[in-house]
Amino acid sequence: MGIPIKLTMRVGRTVLLMLCAALGTILLVRFAPGFFSDPREMDAKYAEAARVELQEEKIQQQSVIVISMRELGGWLRGDFGQSRQYHVPVSELIMGRIAVSSSLFINGIVRGWLLAFCAALPMSGLRRGKTMLGLPFTLLLAVPAAAMATACILADAGGAVLVLTLIVAARDFKFLQSLFGSAWNSPHLLQGRAQGLSVRVLFIAHILPNITPQLLALTTLSIVSALSALVPIEVVFTVHGVGQLAWSAVINRDLPVLVAISLLMAFVVGVAELLSMRAYTLEAA
Amino acid sequence: MRKWPSVILLLILILGAVLEVRVSRHDYAYQDREATMQQASPDHLAGTDELGRDRLVRVAAALLIGLTGAMAAAAITITIAATVGLLAAFSPSPIAAILMFVSDSFLTVPWLFLLMTARSLLPLTASPLQTAVATFLVLALFGWPACARAICGGATTMRSAESMIQGRACGLRNRQLIRVHVLPHLRPLLLPQFLVCVPAFLVAEANLGALGLGVGEPMPSWGAMLLELDNSALLAQSHWVYLPIAMLVLVLVLLESFTSEAERNA
Repeated sequence: MGIPIKLTMRVGRTVLLMLCAALGTILLVRFAPGFFSDPREMDAKYAEAARVELQEEKIQQQSVIVISMRELGGWLRGDFGQSRQYHVPVSELIMGRIAVSSSLFINGIVRGWLLAFCAALPMSGLRRGKTMLGLPFTLLLAVPAAAMATACILADAGGAVLVLTLIVAARDFKFLQSLFGSAWNSPHLLQGRAQGLSVRVLFIAHILPNITPQLLALTTLSIVSALSALVPIEVVFTVHGVGQLAWSAVINRDLPVLVAISLLMAFVVGVAELLSMRAYTLEAA
Repeated sequence: MRKWPSVILLLILILGAVLEVRVSRHDYAYQDREATMQQASPDHLAGTDELGRDRLVRVAAALLIGLTGAMAAAAITITIAATVGLLAAFSPSPIAAILMFVSDSFLTVPWLFLLMTARSLLPLTASPLQTAVATFLVLALFGWPACARAICGGATTMRSAESMIQGRACGLRNRQLIRVHVLPHLRPLLLPQFLVCVPAFLVAEANLGALGLGVGEPMPSWGAMLLELDNSALLAQSHWVYLPIAMLVLVLVLLESFTSEAERNA
């Protein structure tokens, strides 16, 4: 199978994934208790006839197909609907927060990777003491994101970026350590080391090219775990980003916002996955 | 052999928690309004919370509820994962592709967001027990894809083993092959997967609870007790507020070390 066909299939898969994420969210929210509750029904200023009309309108909108078609039609026109809690267009609401979350997200991932990389590389070459030296990362792995964020606030040290950095580093360290560990012990590297090649040459010429596809796959995993951690971190630090918006949308059953955020998350993960798979494809070619 | 200290320490903690819950004069939900935010005393060994509830009993109960829930959820997850993984490994390729696409779809969506969405859709009037069951059930229903992938990989490798080819040549059906040959050989893979799920579910429950979407009050849970840390006024009054998070980290570190050892042995 040629690269263009493979790439087309991957793009199709990403689009399908986004549609599945959106449909899943619609289904979940549609069947949530209280989804169709409307504060206008309890407002005395509406006459009985108006309330009956509101109820009839709701009955017409109950079908998942109707809701899905309406949402899909809206997206095709670039309209993501209006937020039920903020009463502003969803696109406007999300666009304002994307920059905040992106900055936090990119900073956290880059620093987390650097930390994990710098710690895993020298540790992977050790014969003894790996467990003890890796203990801080095991400890970090054991602390829930929300607790870590709260601890930072209490200690008045660090911030959202530090917490995200530590979470990403803790998750990636274990994988990177085992990846480097198995690379160091491969026969051709042992021979290279025996011949006196420097660590820098071995790493650049032998290790890095061999583990690049795995590193790219790990990037996708990092993105998924960072996106998950974004919600509690933004909520605890009161960062006005997409994660906090997702949390408030969940609490308030704000379907248009929830669906838009699901789409956004599926898109980010889909593109990251696409890039890592593209790297695999090109490598294979 | 390195796993034994963590297993023994974990068992001591569990035993201590059972004793504390059974022997203590205080119920985890009992509120002594005359003794709110008390320091440690012979009556309350770790003090009381802002509602006058014995903190040690609540931490002990949270440990037991958390571990029981996480282990039950992990068992459900492994059952679903084994079913999906084996189905994918022994089905025609289109069915396998669909199953793996579904599992990939679950994997790619950030699961805390997924959990948050699913958990928030439960009735607002649910009892604490119902919220606890629902929380861990949601965790179980969304935790299977990674395990399913691993099991599918293991089963696919095994499918082309000589013993399997011989079994098929002897006329054994896939169901018989799975029951007699595949499942017993997959046990070394299933156990570490189960052990990996337990701490992951504990952390997920704590994160959900900290967002107000976990186990409902007055039932004690790690997540709900972490919410206390948000109140700086409480922190100034008693250092025992840190007990739940310290205990949670200890339990998770013990579980992690046990899990790493099991993974290494697998």
